[in-house]
Amino acid sequence: MKDFQYLLPQTLEEAVRLKEEYDKAAVFMAGATDIVVRMRDYLLTPEYVIDLKKIPGLDGITFSKEEGLHIGCLATMNEIAGNEDVRKYYPTLAAAAESVGSRQVRNRATCVGNIVNASPLADTATPLYCYDAVLEILGPNGKREIPITEFILFVRKVALERGELVTGIRVPYREAEGEFRKIARRDQVDLSTVCGTVLKFGDEYHIAMGSVAPTPLRLKKTEELLAGKKLTKELIDEAAELAPTEVNPIDDVRASKQYRLDMVSYIVRDVLTKLA
Amino acid sequence: MKEYLVKFFVNDEPIELRVPANRTLLSVLREDLALTGTKEGCGAGECGACTVIVDGKAVNACLILAPELDGMHIETVEGLAKGSQISPLQESFIEHMALQCGFCTPGMLMSAESLLRDNPHPTRDEIKKAMSGNLCRCTGYKKIVEAIEAVAEKGVYDK
Repeated sequence: MKDFQYLLPQTLEEAVRLKEEYDKAAVFMAGATDIVVRMRDYLLTPEYVIDLKKIPGLDGITFSKEEGLHIGCLATMNEIAGNEDVRKYYPTLAAAAESVGSRQVRNRATCVGNIVNASPLADTATPLYCYDAVLEILGPNGKREIPITEFILFVRKVALERGELVTGIRVPYREAEGEFRKIARRDQVDLSTVCGTVLKFGDEYHIAMGSVAPTPLRLKKTEELLAGKKLTKELIDEAAELAPTEVNPIDDVRASKQYRLDMVSYIVRDVLTKLA
Repeated sequence: MKEYLVKFFVNDEPIELRVPANRTLLSVLREDLALTGTKEGCGAGECGACTVIVDGKAVNACLILAPELDGMHIETVEGLAKGSQISPLQESFIEHMALQCGFCTPGMLMSAESLLRDNPHPTRDEIKKAMSGNLCRCTGYKKIVEAIEAVAEKGVYDK
C-alpha cells in the first residue's frame, strides 16, 4: 500500500474543508472495506485518507412513517440488517444489507459507502432505487439532496462536486410488498452475478436490477407495462420478456451476458408470480 | 513517512505505538506485537483467517488501517486462553478434531467466539451463516460446526 496521510476530522465542516482543499488527492473513508482492498492493490493511491468515524451523529438509523427511514453515513450493514424498523418496513433493504460480504465485513462496511463506491452490483442499490431513496449531501456551499438514480453516473462515478460528502440516505416510506434477490456463485460472501429488487406499491410496480449495466437500473418500461394492472400469467410472461430488453449486461468472469439476461427475466417472473 | 501515535488494548493489555498510515491491524499484530496467531490468508477481507474481535465485533484485521487503532479494544486468539488454561471453545475444537492444517483455526475460533457471545444457542443454519466469512481450504467445515454446537449445548456462553 502506498503511504498517505491519515486525517481524522472531528466535525462535518472540517471534513468538507479538508476534501475541498485536497480534492482528488483525498478519499473519504468510513468502513474502509472497499478502499483498503483497492489501496492494497494500488488501484487507489490517495495522498490523504479522511476518516469520518470520529464525527459524532453520523451512525444513526431512524424511522417514522411520516419522515421515512434515515441512514447515517456511518451506519454499518449489520446495523441496518438488524434494525427492527428496517426489517419491518424495508425488508428488501435488510435482506440486501445482509447479503453483503461476510459477517466481519458487514460489521465495518456502510450502506452509504456501498452507494458512493458506485459499483454496478452494489447490493443495497436496487432496493434503494425501488424506494426512490435520496442522498443527503453536504459541501462547501451547504446541503443539497439528490435522488439515488441521478447520483450514480457510471462505474465508480458519482455526482459529487468538489468537497462534497454524502452524510446520509433518506428512504421515503411507502407500504410495499416485494423481494430482493441476489444471484451469486455461492450462497454467502460473493459478489452478485445479478441482483434485483421488485416492489409492489398498491398497483404500482418498481423494478431495479444490478450487475446488468454500468449502473444499477430501474426498468421503467416494464414498470409502465405493469402499472395499474392485475398480475395475470399472461402479463407476467410479457413483463419477463420485456425486462431483459431494458438492461445491457456484459460477459465477465462471473457469468455470460445471456445468463444475466435470463436471470433478469427469471427474477421479474418469480417475484411477480409470488406477488400475484 | 509520517507516523501516528496510537494507544489501544490487545487482550486487555494497553499498547502504545507509532505507526505509519499504510499498515494494517493485521501487520501490527503480527510484526510489531509478535501475536502471530492471527493469520493472513487473502489480505482482502474474503477468507477470515485474520478475524479478530474489535470493540465486541468480529472484523477482518487486514481491512483496518493502523492509525484507526487509537482507542480500540482488540481481542485475538491469544486472548482466548486464561493463563495455560485453553477456553471451552478451544477444547471443543480439539475434542471434535475441528482442524486439519490449522491455518484457518484462529479465525474460525474468533468468529465462533463472537457468534456465541451474541447468540449462546445458535441453530446449525445460524452457525453456518455466521461462519461463512471464514474459509477452510482443507474443507473441514462439518467438524467445526459440530464443535461449535457442542460447546453451545454445554451452556458455556449463557448470560
